[in-house]
Amino acid sequence: MTAATGALPRAAPLSALWRRRGVRKAATFYLLISPWILGFVFLSAIPLALAFLMSFTNYDGLNLDYVRLVGLDNYTRAFTDADAQHALGRTLVLMVAVVPTGLVVQLALALMLNQPIRLSPLFRTIFYLPYVIPVVAGAWVWKLFTDPTGGLLNALLGLITPDANIRWLVEYPTVVLALFTIWAGAGGGMVVFLAGLQGIPAEYREAAMIDGASGAQVTRYITLPLLTPVIFFNLVIGIIAALQILVQPMLLAPGIVGLGPGTVPPSDNYLYVVHGYITIFVHQLFGYGSALLWLLFLVVVALTFVLFKTSRRWVFYGVEP
Amino acid sequence: MTPRATRRQVLIGAGALAAAAAAAPILAACQPATQKTGGSGKVVVMTDPNEFSDDDRKTLEDATKLKIEVVKSDLTTLYAMWAAGNPPDIFRVQAAGLPQYISRKMVKSLQSYFANSKLLKPEDLAPANSFYRSDGKTVGKGDLYGMVKDWSPDFTLFAYTKAFADAGVTVPSDTTPLSYDELHALAKKVDRKQGGKRVYWGFVHSNNDQWIDRTAMNMLAEKNQNLYADDFSKLVISANPEALKVVRYLYDLAAEGLQQSPVDPSPNWMGADFNNGQIALLQYGYWFSAMAESDTTKGKTVMLPAPTWAGVRRDPTMTATGWVISSQTKDADAAWTVFEQYMGGKPAQDRAKSGWGVPGLRSLYAQMPQDTAFQKQVQKVLQGELPKSDFVLQFNPYIGEQTFSTSWTKNLEPALKGQIGFDKFVQNIESEVNTAIADGKRIIGG
Repeated sequence: MTAATGALPRAAPLSALWRRRGVRKAATFYLLISPWILGFVFLSAIPLALAFLMSFTNYDGLNLDYVRLVGLDNYTRAFTDADAQHALGRTLVLMVAVVPTGLVVQLALALMLNQPIRLSPLFRTIFYLPYVIPVVAGAWVWKLFTDPTGGLLNALLGLITPDANIRWLVEYPTVVLALFTIWAGAGGGMVVFLAGLQGIPAEYREAAMIDGASGAQVTRYITLPLLTPVIFFNLVIGIIAALQILVQPMLLAPGIVGLGPGTVPPSDNYLYVVHGYITIFVHQLFGYGSALLWLLFLVVVALTFVLFKTSRRWVFYGVEP
Repeated sequence: MTPRATRRQVLIGAGALAAAAAAAPILAACQPATQKTGGSGKVVVMTDPNEFSDDDRKTLEDATKLKIEVVKSDLTTLYAMWAAGNPPDIFRVQAAGLPQYISRKMVKSLQSYFANSKLLKPEDLAPANSFYRSDGKTVGKGDLYGMVKDWSPDFTLFAYTKAFADAGVTVPSDTTPLSYDELHALAKKVDRKQGGKRVYWGFVHSNNDQWIDRTAMNMLAEKNQNLYADDFSKLVISANPEALKVVRYLYDLAAEGLQQSPVDPSPNWMGADFNNGQIALLQYGYWFSAMAESDTTKGKTVMLPAPTWAGVRRDPTMTATGWVISSQTKDADAAWTVFEQYMGGKPAQDRAKSGWGVPGLRSLYAQMPQDTAFQKQVQKVLQGELPKSDFVLQFNPYIGEQTFSTSWTKNLEPALKGQIGFDKFVQNIESEVNTAIADGKRIIGG
């Protein structure tokens, strides 16, 4: 034995530790982000991890006593599931229809509302409103709007074509779903574009105009290039949101407005996450449904990766990202 | 020097914590289940708040000296509570879902409790309670697992007489049942559109198709047939000419526009459409009489006996909504005390008097309302139906209660749009339901 152990450093008192600037800063940082960290861990990370584990089991949502590991069966099954393939195809169709159109609408609204016009705060509020209306209420509005018998859309068409009786939700379900999605999301994207527009220094535009550029040329050569980081952001968010649409097609399904295991959207609006929902809550295949959703997650990651790769060619950052 | 955790270490630690927390329930599932014992004096009841008022809760708390916590009935919440290992002590079910719960050992046999109960005597139980008997395979035989809160012979019809007057057609007799073929012909006569817009649907049934398998099963049962093989191992339609006829009949009602369908939908629930005077013939049970007369339909509504498919009259309930006690309840005796009082105490008497269903106990039948002319007419028809109601429907224990109807609705839309033919429609339903049955069999064995 030696006496060397007697040189152990004494623990600093807590108050002394707190007085050290670095510790105080770190503690404050972790304290401030802890609500998000806790929310992320308990509401996202743990459910995600659970779903991942579940995807390797036969769990049916009922009695845990019957849970068995099934290896990769759920993942291989997804590649032979005709409904999953149909649903993925319809989801991609909707994404292609909704994302570019939505971006154009959001940008157009932002460009208009960025002008120094009277009552612009009122117009901004009005255009933002659909974004904050609960989706169930929005779906009701669109169901009433497109109702074949008493709906406003057919009534307006009736001014041109008497006895217009188009069953919009039956004959054009994807068109209605796309319009509803664009309408509901326009306000959110518009606000982000507005923020981006207001971040562009006025000197750039003024300099271009002094040099003789027209309004369209200023937009084309000054505003849009400087706005590409915002366009990129809204594009990525829009694609992720479009791939994850669940509630809207269920609520717009012909029949009673509701979101429950008995609701089935029309074939054209049978989207991928809807298929996941029905697999889980109707067929009670929680394991297989989780595998389907994890595969979607991989598709989202892959698409986002491709977008980031291409962004180097068309997104202009004032400083290096 | 004080050791300092790097950001990487913090993230790794958080990830490990999350993974451990996530894995715990799944890993725990691999351990044999243990029986929980002991109670807290509180009983958790998952039910529909429309069927269990705050007054009911207070009445039961006073009668049982137990605290009752009510959770709104919802399949997703029920699954979540089961997954968390903390299911409600009592939960609301419908007959179609019960075989699945019994096959997965999720509900408790109440046989011994009923045998010793003074309020709920087995000989007093209404016939619909047979839906809560099971020997593991056959509904109607074996132990009692629960009880209906109330019920109705569900295949009766409600006729809106104005639709008949508009069509110049006589309203059918309320003593002689129609055949389903006569009903089809009648529905064609009273179905009406004007300028391409709907005035009356001819014959609306099966709760917007959510109960379509129940309707088909009852029709088939008149010929001693079922939609499923005897051992429930598969759905058999194309290979069973009788089943094919029934499915074709129901399909034709939708194809001819007599029934609401995915291509001719209503934004409302079918009961509301009847109240709005938009349905000529509606198939619902006695319970609907409590709301059938709206401002529009008052004095223009009559109840008719259940139609018959093959001349062998059957008019059981198709919902049998009621309560069961979870097999994992921490205090089965307390749960039974609440159950017993709700099914046989003051709340049961109040429900009987309300007219929202036939009581679950025969001794309460006399309390059903018979004040108005409509209630008297309804009672006359009901008394003719009760002797035909002592039947059950054999639901498949391997699949959920919405499996068939979801597949029906999903395939009906492309079929009615002409994208697939009738044969393909049937094949798709068989394929999807049989896949679900195979999944269920793999999970619980058998």
